[in-house]
Amino acid sequence: MIGPDQRAFEADIAKAVFRLGVADGRWRLISTAWPFVFLEVAARDGLWHTLRFNCAGYPQVAPTAGPWDMASNAILPFDRWPRGNGGRVTAIFRTNWKSGTALYLPCDRESITGHDNWRTQMPSKIWRPEDGLVQYLELVHELLNSRDYVPPVRTTA
Amino acid sequence: MAMIDVFYQGEQLGEVQHLALEGSSTFGVLHAAIREKHGIVYETFLFLENGEEVIEELVCIADHARGGNLKVHVHRCRHVEVTVAFNGRVVERHFSPAATVAKIKRWAAEEKFGMTPEEAGEHVLQIAGTHDRPAPGTHVGALTDGRVCGVAFDLVPDERVNGASEAGA
Repeated sequence: MIGPDQRAFEADIAKAVFRLGVADGRWRLISTAWPFVFLEVAARDGLWHTLRFNCAGYPQVAPTAGPWDMASNAILPFDRWPRGNGGRVTAIFRTNWKSGTALYLPCDRESITGHDNWRTQMPSKIWRPEDGLVQYLELVHELLNSRDYVPPVRTTA
Repeated sequence: MAMIDVFYQGEQLGEVQHLALEGSSTFGVLHAAIREKHGIVYETFLFLENGEEVIEELVCIADHARGGNLKVHVHRCRHVEVTVAFNGRVVERHFSPAATVAKIKRWAAEEKFGMTPEEAGEHVLQIAGTHDRPAPGTHVGALTDGRVCGVAFDLVPDERVNGASEAGA
């Protein structure tokens, strides 16, 4: 029997706004092993970047997510992470933050901790349970399609 | 003929909506299906996403679908008056209700305020008087309030998440 958080998640990915992102080729669901959810987000160079989301307590509790290597079932080696030119992608995809388990985003459960200033400095990026996973995915997709994005040093294992 | 997944937005419809129709259906059939689903009783117009004109109701929806998907907008207005304020200047233009926020930002930031694409990428549209920054794929007609066919935006810097310490490392 699945819990209320997983039921809420499954209801959200059945919504048109999530399915539109799939139809547009912006993101896609790979698999679920609750509370972990594996999704890929498309970058502007055509690469798909896998993120592992921990969605425990969804949606009232924000998820946390980081780049993931499906083959080895482990955090993606840092030389395969998306990079930036020193701008916003660099600031979010930080290999020196939480040992690579969480993106440095205000809507991330792990990263908002200790950053109460973000609630006033960037309220639009604070987790909104009513928007759910799509909010997180939109922010990541925007980053991976920004001019700051640079492909990983290495793209294969 | 195969089914088409239709994703649509509209005034006061909330988030993106979906229905599936036979590809041989006309836009007239699609329009009626949307109106019936949402109990719309007033006159509305149907647009393709980023289309400037009302779509002809006799046209087959498959003619405008891509990869089995179609994006449209239903709205009571033919045009939405958009204003964008930046650095003390305000520019305005009529857009179709089906114009995306991304299209309006490009027009304002690059065409009217002379930003480079890089500079424009560091800015976002925020609904005036709020903290709401609609996603790039949002149709402007979905942001009207049911009374006025207009939306006022501010073009604001997209704050960077900076200044992190290594404490969480």
